[in-house]
Formats: sequence, C-alpha cells, structure tokens
Amino acid sequence: MATNAVEERELVAAAGAPTPRRRPGSRLKWRNTLIGWSFILPNFVGFTILTLVPVLILFYMSFTNWNVFGVAQWTGVDNYARLVQDGSYHKALLNTLYYAVVHIPLTLAAALGLALLLNRKMRGVAFFRTVAFFPYITSIVAIAVVWNMLFSPEFGPINQFLTALGVDDPPGWTTSATWAMPAVIIVGTWREMGYYMLLLLAGLQTVPAELHEAARMDGASAWQRFLNVTLPCLRPTMFFVTVMLTIGSFKVFDLILVMTNGGPGQSTLVLSQYIWQKGFVENQFGYASAVSVSLFLICIAVTLFQFFWNKKKEA
Amino acid sequence: MKRTTPIAIGATAAVALTLTACGGGADGGAETTADGPVTLTLAGWSLDSTPEFQTLADAYHEANPDVTVDVVEYPAGNDYATAMTADLAAGTAPDVYVLKNLKDFVTYSNGAQLLDVSDVVGELDPATGGLDQYEAEDGKSYAVPYRQDSWVLYYDKDLFAQAGVAEPDGSWTWDDYDQAAQDISAALSGDGVKGTYLHNWQSTVQGFALAQGEDADLLSGDYSYLAPYYERALALQDAGAQVDFGTITTNTLTYQGEFGLQKAAMLPMGTWYTATLIAQQASGEANEFEWGIAPIPQADASTTGTDATPVTFGDPTGLGINPKVDEAKVAAAKDFLAFAAGEEGAQALAEIGITPALTNDAVTETFFALDGVPGDDLSKFAFSTHDTRPENPVATQTAIVQNILNDLHSAVMSGSTAVDAAVEEAGQRVQSEAGLG
Repeated sequence: MATNAVEERELVAAAGAPTPRRRPGSRLKWRNTLIGWSFILPNFVGFTILTLVPVLILFYMSFTNWNVFGVAQWTGVDNYARLVQDGSYHKALLNTLYYAVVHIPLTLAAALGLALLLNRKMRGVAFFRTVAFFPYITSIVAIAVVWNMLFSPEFGPINQFLTALGVDDPPGWTTSATWAMPAVIIVGTWREMGYYMLLLLAGLQTVPAELHEAARMDGASAWQRFLNVTLPCLRPTMFFVTVMLTIGSFKVFDLILVMTNGGPGQSTLVLSQYIWQKGFVENQFGYASAVSVSLFLICIAVTLFQFFWNKKKEA
Repeated sequence: MKRTTPIAIGATAAVALTLTACGGGADGGAETTADGPVTLTLAGWSLDSTPEFQTLADAYHEANPDVTVDVVEYPAGNDYATAMTADLAAGTAPDVYVLKNLKDFVTYSNGAQLLDVSDVVGELDPATGGLDQYEAEDGKSYAVPYRQDSWVLYYDKDLFAQAGVAEPDGSWTWDDYDQAAQDISAALSGDGVKGTYLHNWQSTVQGFALAQGEDADLLSGDYSYLAPYYERALALQDAGAQVDFGTITTNTLTYQGEFGLQKAAMLPMGTWYTATLIAQQASGEANEFEWGIAPIPQADASTTGTDATPVTFGDPTGLGINPKVDEAKVAAAKDFLAFAAGEEGAQALAEIGITPALTNDAVTETFFALDGVPGDDLSKFAFSTHDTRPENPVATQTAIVQNILNDLHSAVMSGSTAVDAAVEEAGQRVQSEAGLG
C-alpha cells in the first residue's frame, strides 16, 4: 500500500502537476513513517475495536439509564449523584481499599523475600522457583475450594493447628464477617507472590555484581548492601511491580467471587463484584458503568501518583 | 475436486434456500396451525443431563410431524440468563426460550423481548400452576408455565425407623419438624446422622417465610416476617440438628450428597430433586433406602392435614417467544407453547420425572408410575396438592431486593449479625437501593 501511494505521487509529479518542492530526504521520512504505522497498525486496530471503543462507550453509558434492551436514556449525572449516597458502594469502596492496603505491601514483601531467597546459587533453585510459581497457574476455582476447606472453622486444618497451639477461640475465617477479608487477602497473597517474584528475580539479575563487591570491600553489611545497592538498582522493576500489583488489587474479582461471594453479608464485597452485580445480575448497566468509571479513575489516580513519585525519585 | 466442492455447497444452499422460500410462502396464509415444514429453535441448558427440552421437542414433533424443534444448548446455572440476555440484545436468540425464573421474566417483558401470548394462555387449563405470574402490568401475558416445582419435605423412612421417630403424616407444623430433627439427631448422632439438612440458599429460609408468614411482602421493605424463621433455623443449627452454614460453604457440601448418602433424615427441597434422587439411587451415587415426600411443615395447624391445602413456594419455569421470530413461525411457536404447557406436554414431562405446571390426576398417575418413586398416599398428596406462592413476585425491584436479602442470609446464618439487626439493615438498604418501604 505504501509503495502504491508513493508510485501514484510520482506519476502525478511526472504528469507535471504543480507539486511543492520538497527537501531531500522527506520522501524517505514519509516512507519510514508509513512503514512504522503499518507495523503498529494490526495491534492498534485490535486495541481500538476491542478496548478503546468499549471504554469510550462505557463513559457514555455511565451517564445513562440502560437495561440492555432498547435505547439508553440520557440521565446526566444522576448515576454519579446516586454513587455519593449509595451505602453499598461505600462499603465496596472501603473493602476494596482494605484489600489493597493490606494486600499490596504483603505481596510485595513476600515476593521480594522469595526473590532474594531464590536468587542465590543453591541446589534445586529451579525447582523451588517453579514451586513458588505454581499457585499463579493453578485454577482459581480449585484454589478457592481447597483454601475454603483449610479455613473451615470446625474441621479445617488451620484452626486445628491453631487450637493445638493453644488458641482458645480460633477465627471463623470465611464464615466470619471480621475474618473473611484477612482470609481472602492471605489466599490472594499466596497466589500472586510467585508471579511478582519472577519479575523481581529478573530485576535482581540486572544488579551489577561489581557494585556489591565494591560495597563489600568498603565493609558494608548485608543489610546495608540490600538497602543501598540492591533496592536502588531494583527501582525500575519495583515501580513496574507496584503499579501492576496496585491495579490488580483494585480490580480483584474472581478470587473473592469464588471464595466468599462477597459475604458473609457484605463483608468482602469489592468494587468489581459490585459492578458485576449491578450490571449483570440486576441489569442496571448505566449505574454499573458509573461504578466502573469510578474504579477507573481510582486506578488512574493511584498510578499517576506512583508515576510522579518514581519520577521525583529518579531525578 | 477441490474446486467443485464450494460449487456443490453453493448449489445445495441455493436449492435449500429456494425450498425454504416456497415453504415460507405457503405458511403465510395459515392462521392457527402451520402447514408445510417449519423448524423452530428452542433454548435449553445442560442437554446431556437435562432431558426435558429434547423430550418436549420430540413429543411435539411426534404430534406435529410438520414442525421440527431444534434445541440449542446454552450455559447452565446463572450463566444461562447472562448468555440469553446477550443473545436477545444482539438479536440472535432462538425462537422460543425458557424463562428460568421470574426475575428474568421482568427484565425480558419490560425490555420488550417477549411476544404477547395472551391467546395461548386463554386456552390453557386455569388450574395450571403459575399461570397468572406471567401477566404483565398491561394485562397481557408474555409467557406460559410448563413446569412448576414447589418445595416439599423429603424424608428418609429408614432413618426415621432406626431412630424410632414417627414419620411425617401431613399434619406437621414447623414445631413438629424441629422436634423430629432434634429427636433423630439425639438418637443417631453416634452414626453421624443429623435430623435435617438445610442447604445454604436463601430460599430455604426466606421462601417459606414469604409464603407462610403473616403479612409477608417481599416489596414492603419490612422484613420482620423473616425473623421467626431465622431463629428456628439458627436454633436447629446450634442444637446440632443440622449441619451449620459455615461447614456447608467451606466444605462445599451438596444437598444431594447429604440426603442421598443418608447423613440427614430430612431435606426441605424443590420437587426437582425427585428425578435426581431416583437417578442417583439407580446409578449407585446415592444409597438404597426407602424415602417419601411430605408436605412442607406449616406455620400453624390451619393449613395442615390432608383435607387442607398446604402452603409452600416455588417459581414456575416458563416458555416465551422471541419477538424477532419469523412471521411465518409465530403460529407454530404459539402452538408449541400451548402443547408444552398443556396436558400432552405435562404427560411427557411427568414420564421423565419432572413436575409439570399442570398437575391433574392423570399427570400424577404418570409421575408415580415411574420406577423408584415412592408409592405412598402422602407422597402423592404432597406432589399434587399445594398452594404454591411465588418466591420472586414479579416486579422490577425483585432482583435488587433478593440480592440484599441474600446478604442478610449469609450474615445471619454465619452468625456474623444478629437477626434483628440484619432485618433492620436490609430494610434500610431496600429503601435506599430499591426505593421501597
């Protein structure tokens, strides 16, 4: 296509049409741009049709009242006004924040710990890395069934263990409004730490050995080397991991749906689930879109904050 | 060869199209019955394990050889509604589709996704269960019920005998039920048998409360009618006469396993379980034991006894017609609905152990002639006589209210929230989220 366009222009030029004189090399530039575009075009077309357009429609939908059938009615900011007063939305928002605030540092610490542990030269390191990655590739439904059994208040091994340790009144875990969220967070952390460990391991490989060596020569302790060599070198990876982890935590859905279905009561109801419930269970697609937009804005805001914070640190 | 194949396909298609066009032309004049071959599509789910759709399709085709009903498979469970909604919105749904529950019916009838079938309803037996549930606010009917399960009490005669407790006789109130559950648990706890099993669905408590409770109204915003039923369920749970809610959810217990493997002597459940239990006893998935069906226990003595009509609950399952159906197929589709909801459809369903919406003496006889169905009079009475109230009264807010009450159910049954506090919270949420009360 690119060649055709060029040929055509040449034909036109040959026919003596009044074309402005170009600087030498501009044709090459034009050609390169076209080739560049043709490279990203397949991906961009897919992105536009499957992501960009639906997202733009979502923004429009959030200002309407729509039950899937027929035409969406424009209702202005009604949905957003409703959000401000909706107790269940507030509950879902708070639960999502609870999940994110505990789950992000916990997973980051666990993943970093695992990565440091498995970054050493030792026997069977590949085996242990694979084992740590297993939870991430296991079916979420199977995970939920097994963990629910482990958490079973009366017959579960976790509570039997706690009782053996001398805990008189072990928690009810997924059957208790207080303990359901911690239980879900534990499983979420266990599931995802292997994945982030892998990313951090890749980052650790880029830390130059000579820096460690120099620090050791200067008498830095292991902790000092970790703080002043490893962590600064790992910052680009840490930034990426934190951003992905944050977005993932705010969007948590499947794990909670299969483990507790938001219960008991509304104790583990999160935003994604609330969107699903309002949209696909109650057919209030306009309102569900408004909740989605709010979740989108939260994710964008947090990511931008992390981005600028990272920039500032970099400078 | 390679070049001729597409041509052959094209030619076949052209011929087929011409033939169909001829058929369509001939159909145009017919008013009530379709003459000429017509193919209807019907939505169903889990076709391997749910034979009712194919049974109806085959029975109808046998009675009307001109009409073929093709069953299209949809996902089972809650995914059915999601997939059907998407297909209806996209205009690719089958000609005739199943309304799995009344909550969906409101969505579809409000969304103009159902054809007016008042004329079909007018010709059906007025005794058909759930007939009036499909009447919309405009006075027109948009679907017909073809099956109606209602909730009854399954009980294990062997375990009752073993515990030396008197079997249900049709006169039970909930107090009798509680007493029997506790007596059986006390007698058989050594064998790990509980008196009863209450599955973790909200229906198992709320359905009875709504049907039997005085002034109970799902859309009133006042849920105090639930309180006595929850207190009863919690008391049985605390007394160890039924498995507690937490164990059911964490260990993913199934009611089929608990009753079928004789871990519980009683089970309040919908009549759909009859066919499952027979099949599982035949295949060895369930133990071999004598069982029976009794009317569900009543709130007070006024509706007990075999000369009264016990009050229970259950939603009908309906069939509706997609308004995008071909003009030429409408008559055939309506005729199929009349067949499915009528005597012939009821007989065909009863033969495979399904409870049709129309349960007259002939249908009951067919049902109880099945291998494995208990033959005692009380079971027949429980199957055929009941005042079945809807679990999901038809209204736009029903889905929202039921979601809120589902939260109440898990909060109360898990012991996280006290009954009164949960009832009050549900009332407030219904007021702010559904605008009721």
